[in-house]
Amino acid sequence: MKTIIIAAALAAPAAAWAHHGWSEYDSSKALKLTGKVVESGYEHPHGHVRLQTAGKTWNVVLAPPSRMERRGLEKGALKPGATVSVEGYPNRTKGEELRAERISVNGKTVELR
Amino acid sequence: MTPAAGPLGALEASELGRAMREWLWLYPAVEIVHIAGIALLFGSIAVLDLRLLGFSRRVSAKQLAAHVLPWTAASFVLIVPSGLMMFTAHAADFIASGVFAVKMGIILLAGVNAAVFHMGPFRSVGNWDVDTPPPAAARAAAAVSLAAWSAVIACGRLLAYF
Repeated sequence: MKTIIIAAALAAPAAAWAHHGWSEYDSSKALKLTGKVVESGYEHPHGHVRLQTAGKTWNVVLAPPSRMERRGLEKGALKPGATVSVEGYPNRTKGEELRAERISVNGKTVELR
Repeated sequence: MTPAAGPLGALEASELGRAMREWLWLYPAVEIVHIAGIALLFGSIAVLDLRLLGFSRRVSAKQLAAHVLPWTAASFVLIVPSGLMMFTAHAADFIASGVFAVKMGIILLAGVNAAVFHMGPFRSVGNWDVDTPPPAAARAAAAVSLAAWSAVIACGRLLAYF
């Protein structure tokens, strides 16, 4: 029984807010994406945008909103319809997810790590 | 974030859940309260458990318990409301998380272990209060307690990573 619980714990799908570590992202495959924000959340513990690019729609994980604000990336900059570029790394297992190292909006680049 | 359906979604969509996600400093402030509470909880439990394992026998086990247990109880005043606030922000994710289920299960185990200890071995504390090795049952309860609360801390931290 105990083994089953532990296995279940390890196999459980990563929750949407579980992005503290960078190890689940493949830093050997740095990507630069440019697209249109479809949906965004300026939310704890990590902000995120759904980014529609030519190829596909990515779920881009950003930094905590308090950090983004301190670095000059205001909530309004991530409104749906905004064109943004992100540089980051794809998730090793979830093909549509990217963790952004930096984001460029309106000619301004903000480091997210 | 789009709140999930059902009662968990309603919790996430509540004013509190929204504030936890969207107010810039609320979530970090609540996390700090939660962690300060955990420090008080674990610290107060650990000093007693170490005594029950047989360390520092010159210290009265009975008096030490009387000193620390109110602080253990007080720590829940910090931990529980802050924990519920974080839960509200991402209720469906927590319920879907295996780590969260394991964490709650171990807290239950730790609670049962403490209750059994207080209704059992601790009743005879007068016999082993000072300068006497604690009975095996007391040592076992202390070991289980230390292991369980350590595991709870580990699960709490791992929630952010899995």
